[in-house]
Amino acid sequence: MGVSITQLMSRLFLLFAASAALASAGTLWLPAYPASVIVFDEAKGQIVDRIPLTTGTPMSIRQTPDHKTIYVTTIDHNGIEVIDVATRKVTNHFVLNTPTKQYRFWNGTPDAQGKLFYSITKEIDKYIEHYEVGRPKYTVIDLQQQKIIKTVDMPKEDQSANDIDFGRAPLELSPDGKYLYQFGDKITIMQADDFKVLDRIELSKPTFPGVEMENVRFGGDLDLINDAGQHVAVFVSSDPIVHNHVFGLARFDLSNRQVDFNPIGPAPAGMAGIEVTPDRKAAYTVVSTGIHGTKRCEFWAFDLTNDQITQRAEVPCRTRFTLGISTDGKKLYIYGAGFDIEVYDAATLKYEKTWDLNNDVTYAGIVVIP
Amino acid sequence: MRHMRPLNKKAERIDNYVASRTGDVVALQNPQAPPPRPHVPMACSLMFTPGWEVDAAGGTAGLCQPVERDIYDCFVSCYWPAAVPDHLNNSPDWASKCAAATKDWRNLDLIFP
Repeated sequence: MGVSITQLMSRLFLLFAASAALASAGTLWLPAYPASVIVFDEAKGQIVDRIPLTTGTPMSIRQTPDHKTIYVTTIDHNGIEVIDVATRKVTNHFVLNTPTKQYRFWNGTPDAQGKLFYSITKEIDKYIEHYEVGRPKYTVIDLQQQKIIKTVDMPKEDQSANDIDFGRAPLELSPDGKYLYQFGDKITIMQADDFKVLDRIELSKPTFPGVEMENVRFGGDLDLINDAGQHVAVFVSSDPIVHNHVFGLARFDLSNRQVDFNPIGPAPAGMAGIEVTPDRKAAYTVVSTGIHGTKRCEFWAFDLTNDQITQRAEVPCRTRFTLGISTDGKKLYIYGAGFDIEVYDAATLKYEKTWDLNNDVTYAGIVVIP
Repeated sequence: MRHMRPLNKKAERIDNYVASRTGDVVALQNPQAPPPRPHVPMACSLMFTPGWEVDAAGGTAGLCQPVERDIYDCFVSCYWPAAVPDHLNNSPDWASKCAAATKDWRNLDLIFP
């Protein structure tokens, strides 16, 4: 009844193959209704954990560059929850609201030590017969004291850009924690300790000669290629003469403040972000044309080594959705609004399967942990 | 609120000022005029933002399919006054028995004002 050497080798090979497959797959962390973060295993194709949040519905999620900590902001009472990736436990949570004050905020950035959280808040004071809504302010939240320790008035020229949707323009800290950057149609560089504006880099006037842009705007972070000390995002620019819109990748070095634009092609009417493979050689997006009943969507695949479109394929588009990519860059995800994730093969752009989460997810985005 | 029109001189000056701020003069290519938008009458709420019951064109083709996919984003992170229960103050648990609204919408609590 013994096992032959061949059988043993075969089983060992299968075991190694399975281990390798599991090792290369990662986990997706999806903020979900009503108040949790779902941990989804890419290899198993199923939910492996659910982290309950006590402060409310998650509205933004971001991970630290070392993939060890996740910060979630919640909307119900304007809270922050800190999740340890290794143990999948909430290590800290609190709300900013008090019975007479509400603080609207959307997202922010923690410092490298995980002690402070920089954000933009809007204060709403409750009086006997009315509420008073304040202007957006730069805010420092002490994660250990669990409260706001500093708010600083914003220069007038920065207020309008931060007055919409609770100040969504992303913030980043420099690696040494001394400088804070805000990305929008310009990059505002501030001292982190007092928010004094040191410089504003007008993206519409890049340093390379002979080129002037009418408008440039940074998008959100790209998770997989978000190196520490670097802010990488999609940008869309247009020239001042014929308003030809071009999109591409932009990198901003947080240490030496150098901006590197990498134009890719004409900007379509609608673009669902861009996802880049871990080796940074390929990128994918979903573009849309038309509206409502005439809306059509296509996957576009790019070769980033020569900045060319390599493949297009029509994809059924939801009214509202988010594009994601697997940790190994071989699968594309379309998710939200709703309870499922559609999986497409990145090489062929063909539909493969649908993962049913059985739980609606918020549009905070997902975090991909390798 | 495009059905509003100025009734006195001051309102007319404000109207002209706003129009002058949004106007654009460009060479070679004129900006495309935005498509005409439908007039959506106000319902039982003070304000009606198309998006859930009807899309911005006044139809239903631009809504999530099925519409229940969008119900939670409607009531939490967007604001649809009076269209869905107020989960922050008066009805915090109205959706607590319903994880996926498309599948379990029958478990949503009925809320009577």
